[in-house]
Amino acid sequence: MEITTANRDSATIISLAGRVDTATAPALEQAINKEIELGHRNVLLNFSGVSYISSGGLRVLLATAKKLKSPGDKFGICSLSAEVHKVLKLAGFTSIFSIYPSEGEALAGWE
Amino acid sequence: MPAGNDQLDPLVWQPVPGAPGAQIYPLIRKIDTISSNSYLIQTPDAIILIDPGGLPGQAEQLVRVITDCRKEKDRPVFVILTHAHIDHFLGIQDIPAFAYIDTAVLMVQDAGASALENGDGGLTQGDLLNVAINPMKVGLHLLTPGRKETPHLPVDLCLANGGRLTITATPADSSSPLPDRESVMFGPGTTIECYHTPGHSPDSICIRIGGLLLIGDMLFAANPGIAGMVGWSQEALVRSLSGIETLLSKGEITIICPGHGRLISAPDAERMLAAVRTDTLALANIAELNRDRAVQAAAFAEDCMEEVNELFTILAGRLYYVSYVLDELGESETAAELGALIHGDAIDELLETFRLFAEEHHQAGGVSIHLALKAGQVIAKLKRTFKKEELSRIVDPTLVLRAERLLSGYTTMLRGFSPPKEITVTDLPALIEMLVAGLSIPSCSDDDVLSSADDDAAFARILLSRIGTRPLLEDVGVALHGVPAPVSVAIDRDQFTDLLTYILEDLVGTGSDQIGIAMEITDSSAVVTVSGNASSSCDQGNQKSMRFLSGLCERAGGLLSRDRDETGLQTYTIQVSRVI
Repeated sequence: MEITTANRDSATIISLAGRVDTATAPALEQAINKEIELGHRNVLLNFSGVSYISSGGLRVLLATAKKLKSPGDKFGICSLSAEVHKVLKLAGFTSIFSIYPSEGEALAGWE
Repeated sequence: MPAGNDQLDPLVWQPVPGAPGAQIYPLIRKIDTISSNSYLIQTPDAIILIDPGGLPGQAEQLVRVITDCRKEKDRPVFVILTHAHIDHFLGIQDIPAFAYIDTAVLMVQDAGASALENGDGGLTQGDLLNVAINPMKVGLHLLTPGRKETPHLPVDLCLANGGRLTITATPADSSSPLPDRESVMFGPGTTIECYHTPGHSPDSICIRIGGLLLIGDMLFAANPGIAGMVGWSQEALVRSLSGIETLLSKGEITIICPGHGRLISAPDAERMLAAVRTDTLALANIAELNRDRAVQAAAFAEDCMEEVNELFTILAGRLYYVSYVLDELGESETAAELGALIHGDAIDELLETFRLFAEEHHQAGGVSIHLALKAGQVIAKLKRTFKKEELSRIVDPTLVLRAERLLSGYTTMLRGFSPPKEITVTDLPALIEMLVAGLSIPSCSDDDVLSSADDDAAFARILLSRIGTRPLLEDVGVALHGVPAPVSVAIDRDQFTDLLTYILEDLVGTGSDQIGIAMEITDSSAVVTVSGNASSSCDQGNQKSMRFLSGLCERAGGLLSRDRDETGLQTYTIQVSRVI
């Protein structure tokens, strides 16, 4: 899995490409934690390159939601493939954090 | 005994218990479908190799040991097969030390010997595993009908490798379940007993030497993906198991040497064989496991694993979700306990193992049965960890039930049974309305929550269930069109319900917030269309998923098609037969 991090409009965008599974989820968690430790508390995960998420990946998303729940924090996911959207929706995760159709729409909503 | 009462040391010579002068050199492999264990026996008069295995490297390793033995004392070499499946002999096909009749004499039960001489791809499983079988010369047919005609009469033979042996046939009789057998005496000393134990294959034999019994693949004969192979017979297997159980009950045999995996003590083997017999008795009318069925099983395996992957990820996700909400409510202890109900990491690893295996399988053009068996292994492990009752109390029971049906359905198919299908006359509109209602309201009402407020345990239980079972259709508008008064159709209710639930999940999961369900009726059929304004459609695994749903629809008694129009409206159409 490839992880690219960029800061734009006061948000940290972590873009992923590949599978978020038991082997790659720790790297994602590490990348997110690094940003949070740097004080970046508006985190958007761009899932446009992700075709699969395992339960290990779901756990990282929940752990992040727990860390970013102070007033003023923002955590969201954008550009989900249908497969990943289905898993998040049916697992009940769509009520925990915001899901956006695209990066632009997410950032517009966060302004 | 060097390695304990029920074990022999691997790859070293050691005395055979109960057979003075005989020594054994066991080559024990981890269990797989490629190659068997091998057992080398040496006596003052002969070197006997039982099951050389399926790999040339294994056969070469054995040749080196045999060569050393012959340097110490030159003796004729015999190769005996417990049965002529390729994982027990293929390794010797191209090894000169075995390929020439005057070097080593091959001894196989009569039916297996004929199969080898004819290059039969059916009985040897060459066809199933996509391996061409070169005809092989068998020096001595064991347990022939001819010798059975002259029982108890020792027959002296001088064979092409210069070896001399004496065979005496003892047919089964009605006073004992012991099977037909032949004693083979190599020179003046050691005798082995060969028992004809068909079932796993028609040519299966068990070989006794002293206190050892080599039983080939009898322990695995009822396993999914093995039972039903060409030549398998339920009736013969049950009879053979009785025969060997009788033999073991005499107490003279102490160690059982299986065709695959570690050695077993006689009491353990008795228990295991009793379990094989129970499993075998349940296997009436299973389909033959031939190449076509293996291809079918492999395709079903991949479709099933795709669904298993999704369902188990959702189940794990639901538990994490419940745990998260409980944590928010300050119930951290209960939240932590939930983690034990599903081992997400272990499940992820199992599913990943299968994915990598399947990927490699496709790249290397692997054999279908191996993929089907791999899926069987993964599903069996998932079944062992699946805590159905506990999960059903927390997450949506229909999700849990479907996961269970999926696992059982695959095992059933792999065992060789037709997929279960119970067609009954059902009122279709009533079934659809009931399903939609069930997926729209929470499993616990507000009243349930309120009435449990005085009882801590009941309140916690209801709260968990309330959090974990969010109705699939709670935020979705569902319109039922043209669903008239009772329409009787012939369907399998459970499978139809599963099908419709999968379809609704697919539409909701991919973003539909409006779903229409319509029904049209003709003289002979009822056509149900389910449409949703999904914002996207699943592309990855789409074909596999559709193949899975089509199969499920067929088992439910209907036909399925799917269409997506230019506006993005996704429509599933199910056609079922009316009962007038």
